[in-house]
Amino acid sequence: MVAADEIASSVGVTRGMGRREAEGLCPGATVLMRDLGEEFRRFEPVVRMIEEIVPRVEIVEPGSVLIPIKGAVRYYGGEDALVDLLSGKLRAAGLRARIGLADGPFAATWAARTAGDDEPRVVSDTRSFLAGLDIAVIDHTDLVSTFRWLGVTTLGSLAELPRDAVASRFGDIGLSAHRLSHGEDRAVGPRSIPAELAVESRWEEPLELTDQVAFAARGMAVKLVEGLRREGIAPHRIIVEAETGDGEVRSRVWRSTDPFTEEALADRVRWQLQAWVDERRRSSGGIVRLRLDPSDLSGEGRQLGFFTDEAARVEAERAFARVQTLVGQDGVLQAQAQGGRLPSERVAWFRWQDDVVPVRDPSAPWPGATPAPSPALVSLEPQPVEVEWDDGMPVRIRLGTRWEPVLTWAGPWRLTGSWWKGESPVDRYQLVTSVGAFLCLVRSSITYLAAVYD
Amino acid sequence: MANTVLAETFPDQWDLRTRLRERDTDLLVLQPGRPVELSGPVGYGLTRIGYRMLAEPSRSAPVAVLDVRGWLSPLAAWEIGVQSPVFVRCSDSAVWPRVASALLEGVPAMYAEVPGGVSDQDLRRLAALARARQSRVVFRPLIGELASGVGYLRLRAREVHWEGPERGHGRLRGRRLVLEASGKGAAGMSRMIEVDDAGTHDLRVVSDLAVGQAGRAFG
Repeated sequence: MVAADEIASSVGVTRGMGRREAEGLCPGATVLMRDLGEEFRRFEPVVRMIEEIVPRVEIVEPGSVLIPIKGAVRYYGGEDALVDLLSGKLRAAGLRARIGLADGPFAATWAARTAGDDEPRVVSDTRSFLAGLDIAVIDHTDLVSTFRWLGVTTLGSLAELPRDAVASRFGDIGLSAHRLSHGEDRAVGPRSIPAELAVESRWEEPLELTDQVAFAARGMAVKLVEGLRREGIAPHRIIVEAETGDGEVRSRVWRSTDPFTEEALADRVRWQLQAWVDERRRSSGGIVRLRLDPSDLSGEGRQLGFFTDEAARVEAERAFARVQTLVGQDGVLQAQAQGGRLPSERVAWFRWQDDVVPVRDPSAPWPGATPAPSPALVSLEPQPVEVEWDDGMPVRIRLGTRWEPVLTWAGPWRLTGSWWKGESPVDRYQLVTSVGAFLCLVRSSITYLAAVYD
Repeated sequence: MANTVLAETFPDQWDLRTRLRERDTDLLVLQPGRPVELSGPVGYGLTRIGYRMLAEPSRSAPVAVLDVRGWLSPLAAWEIGVQSPVFVRCSDSAVWPRVASALLEGVPAMYAEVPGGVSDQDLRRLAALARARQSRVVFRPLIGELASGVGYLRLRAREVHWEGPERGHGRLRGRRLVLEASGKGAAGMSRMIEVDDAGTHDLRVVSDLAVGQAGRAFG
């Protein structure tokens, strides 16, 4: 669960809870798949509201912003006054916000996460605050496990270790973690940003359609990250600036702890443009100019995986983007394993570079699942097929225009299905013929071809 | 355990005298710029062989699977070790050559079903592109075979033996495929190889049981 409405929350549904547990607590709830684009479209007005108080906020993800407050604190007369003003404005708009204030993005993020709804947390001593946090906040599973095994369970105990010893034992990742434990966020690269690294596009016809926006976002994101990679640098902060048909210029800053990849950047630019385009559609015109300005650079642009070929990956992604223009977005797909008993149920398909959350947990036991080896050809919707039976035993199967004798078979394996929804049970058979082996389903005396073992 | 012979297309042409040479184990390794053709009816295990060829290149960069029928399943690909394949669905034979060409120019390896209606000229162009770009590609014609010269190596399915099911008992466990290798990749000689598919992450060429085609065998 990433979010729940008030009714679900009132019966105990909380963030991070598994779907089954949540449905057990709130059986009548409707579960929706997460849509980050839609979340950001709804979050955009909140960002605008915050920017009326403090300009140039940095968006981390839909629902989370970092606000640089150095100037605003002087303007509004102190941190408490600023926080009160901000929380009051959000509360007046009917929003529940968690606000944290501390030195640096990492500490501020955890101050907000540990704050209560409408109870802002202002941290005066960032080092002490960080020292009390669990080591799991580092967000690196292997490193956290090792630290725990060594008895280092909080950021405070990590901070007490000598930095050179941590760097020598755990390398760059350990060094970064140690810096965070001291409240030292990643140092901003002092190097200047060559002006030509920013990318800009102009369009004669304003962009108003979702596909146009997605295409433009992906192309520019790829171009920007490739240009930076050639310089051996990677961006942690991007300014997205757009000009509308009637001359209005808007900009937003997006920030990421890890350097932006092409996909991550394309997603964020797409969400941002989509939010603006949706808004403009209600007034007039679309977007005629877009500029992506990188900042806050680090030298992580040339770090290649040990086994991965970064150049080949980028080439492949370009090819998939080209193919999308030929066959459409629904023609270029990726898949993720999910739980299920039939081969077609065990695959969650999604558009290339989209995100998907498997509906069913693949690590659950799934007793009665069709055993391996898995068929290589699977129909999404089982196709009716004629099978001749003799006293419950399959004799022959009709494939196209000819009948093929069944040489041997395995099954039936029964699936009772969701009987409480009125689903009838299904019997599964593996039929072996002279032209191949098939997975067939028999439901209500009708046989269906579900898969071919090719 | 039952051992069922599913198909014996031309059993009279086979000669069990010949043993497989060591280099035949490389026949299932996809070489850059050397297209492979897998031909034969559905059900003989050619899709798993194609996936097996993609497994090694997929460790370093995304690989493509060009699906014409919309039936290709990633489950078998994952089982055999293909990491994060991207599936491209295109059933239109008029668009297919452009899609295949765009993929060949970018991806390091591709398994492509070839629909009926694609001209030999287009396929030769694609093969030339694969050679020029040093791309790894497996063509799987859905109807008949490709024109000679398109594939560097042709693996034609000849026979498959299933193990496991027996009149309601057991389940499909594994199979042994007999393939006829021909073309430049088989040193210009047609010969038979056997591949053991135990349903695990790998397919094994079984040297001792290899068969050669009568009249063209060596040894």
